[in-house]
Amino acid sequence: MNAMTTRAERKQKFVLQGIPFIIFGIAAIPIWKALKKTDAADMQVVSPNVLSMLLNDLYILLSVSCLAILLGIVCAFYLEEWLPKNNWARRLIESHVAILTSIPSTLYGILAISIFFSYAGTLKVIDGAPPAQNTESIPFQRNTTLFCGEVLTFIFMVTPVTIKTTQEALRSVATPVREAVFALGASQWQVLRQHVVPIAFIRILAGGCRAMSRAFATAALLIGIYIWYDTTDAGGMSGRFILFLAVSLFLSVFSSSLTEVYDSDLTQRS
Amino acid sequence: MLTEEKQPILSIRDLNIWYGDKQILRDLSFEVQQRQVTAFIGPTNCGKSTLVRCINRLNDFTPNFRSIGEILFKGSHLHEASDATALRKQIGMVFRKPTLFRCSIYENVAYGAQIAGVNQSEHLDIIVEKNLQKTGLWDEVEDILDETPEQLSTGQQQLLCIARALAVDPEVLIFDEPCGELDPIETVKIETLVRDLTNEYTLIFATNKRRQAARVSDVAGFLYGGELIEFGATEKIFTNPQDNRTEQYVTGRLG
Ligand SMILES: Nc1ncnc2c1ncn2[C@@H]1O[C@H](COP(=O)(O)OP(=O)(O)O)[C@@H](O)[C@H]1O
Ligand SMILES: [Mg+2]
Repeated sequence: MNAMTTRAERKQKFVLQGIPFIIFGIAAIPIWKALKKTDAADMQVVSPNVLSMLLNDLYILLSVSCLAILLGIVCAFYLEEWLPKNNWARRLIESHVAILTSIPSTLYGILAISIFFSYAGTLKVIDGAPPAQNTESIPFQRNTTLFCGEVLTFIFMVTPVTIKTTQEALRSVATPVREAVFALGASQWQVLRQHVVPIAFIRILAGGCRAMSRAFATAALLIGIYIWYDTTDAGGMSGRFILFLAVSLFLSVFSSSLTEVYDSDLTQRS
Repeated sequence: MLTEEKQPILSIRDLNIWYGDKQILRDLSFEVQQRQVTAFIGPTNCGKSTLVRCINRLNDFTPNFRSIGEILFKGSHLHEASDATALRKQIGMVFRKPTLFRCSIYENVAYGAQIAGVNQSEHLDIIVEKNLQKTGLWDEVEDILDETPEQLSTGQQQLLCIARALAVDPEVLIFDEPCGELDPIETVKIETLVRDLTNEYTLIFATNKRRQAARVSDVAGFLYGGELIEFGATEKIFTNPQDNRTEQYVTGRLG
């Protein structure tokens, strides 16, 4: 009877552990498709069906952020569980993650400008004024470079946040639990797979979702800005826009370096 | 055969330990004989946990930990043993606070055997029953094996931890203040069990309760100020200590 429950629970665990792979699979297919599709012939083609276009974009961005989350989780595990505690690479990566996560998501708009432009093509179609064979609008349509831009943006926005939240989740698994498992002769891998991951799983997932929602909020905001930007006088506005961004960027990097100094002070003192 | 029995299972020579720049233990040398209880006594923070955690290399995970000196387990050097996990299967450990896994009582006990490679459920059933019986917990948990251990008292949980450690089939078992969180009745149970276990196992017992060491151990060592002040037969340590500080400690005037 005992063995039965053990077996049933093992099956359950097996299914749960399959989830990441399923997500990965869903994520990989459209990206592969998109990469294959975006050749020179597609450059000027803008889908007339707005809804399917938007859904397609959503799908791609969802898949990209899933990949970014997976990347973040892998990085966090590597940092937290394999790299020694006072390793220089660990310190380097952690301070960069600290800076990247402290940057307000709006600032990623600079990077996200490519998303911006790829949507611009769509919006022109909504207006019912198809871009005539106008050379200016061609760079604004999706091509491989722009697509890579989107991917990069999402990776830069999502991955650092995921690294941080995953690290926190892993740290929340108390040392006594790990030591109890190690003391029974378990390997590092067994401790992780059989004890740390099941306990930290929910937190890791929640962190990934939070990062993803942040990225999407920014994307949405950018579309809004574009609409607004397109219909008003651009000259004075863009100057202010860039100034605000520069100040904000400076302040966030400054504040994160302050917390870094503060943190290392604290650890040295204790 | 007889000379082999006399061979110490563990010998420690000139062990020095630091955390960062702070030296915790200085020039420790002693030997642990098979099928005996070797106790380490001393006030809190004198380094008992640090010492016993060296023996199963649990300090490997502590950042800033550094040690020099020799630890020989059955004649081979511990630091040369390439596989710490294999070592920990031979040297088990019971901690101060019982930490059980979030699964059933059965699975908690079976876990160690499972990672040691036992997979057949009949074998696991036998191992679980045998080790729960060794700790005297079988009658109390026989009917609730599939339930989580949260409902057990702290003392029962500690006994379950001991059963879990025994299920790996170790030769040496380290106890680090196993009764630190228990009431007197539960403490007596653990102490009796520790005495019983000497029939099969070699035990190392860290405690800051001097009377407890006097009750359970065959050999005792007094750690103070980072040094092993005195090490020898428990009776001698408690009735006829050679060092002034040991005398003061066992009579309650120091620490
Ligand atoms: N991970 C660590 N890093 C730095 N110092 C430590 C660490 N663990 C223990 N210590 C210090 O080492 C000393 C001995 O600790 P410990 O071995 O736990 O003593 P005991 O078990 O006898 O109470 C204490 O002063 C403690 O503060
Ligand atoms: Mg201790």
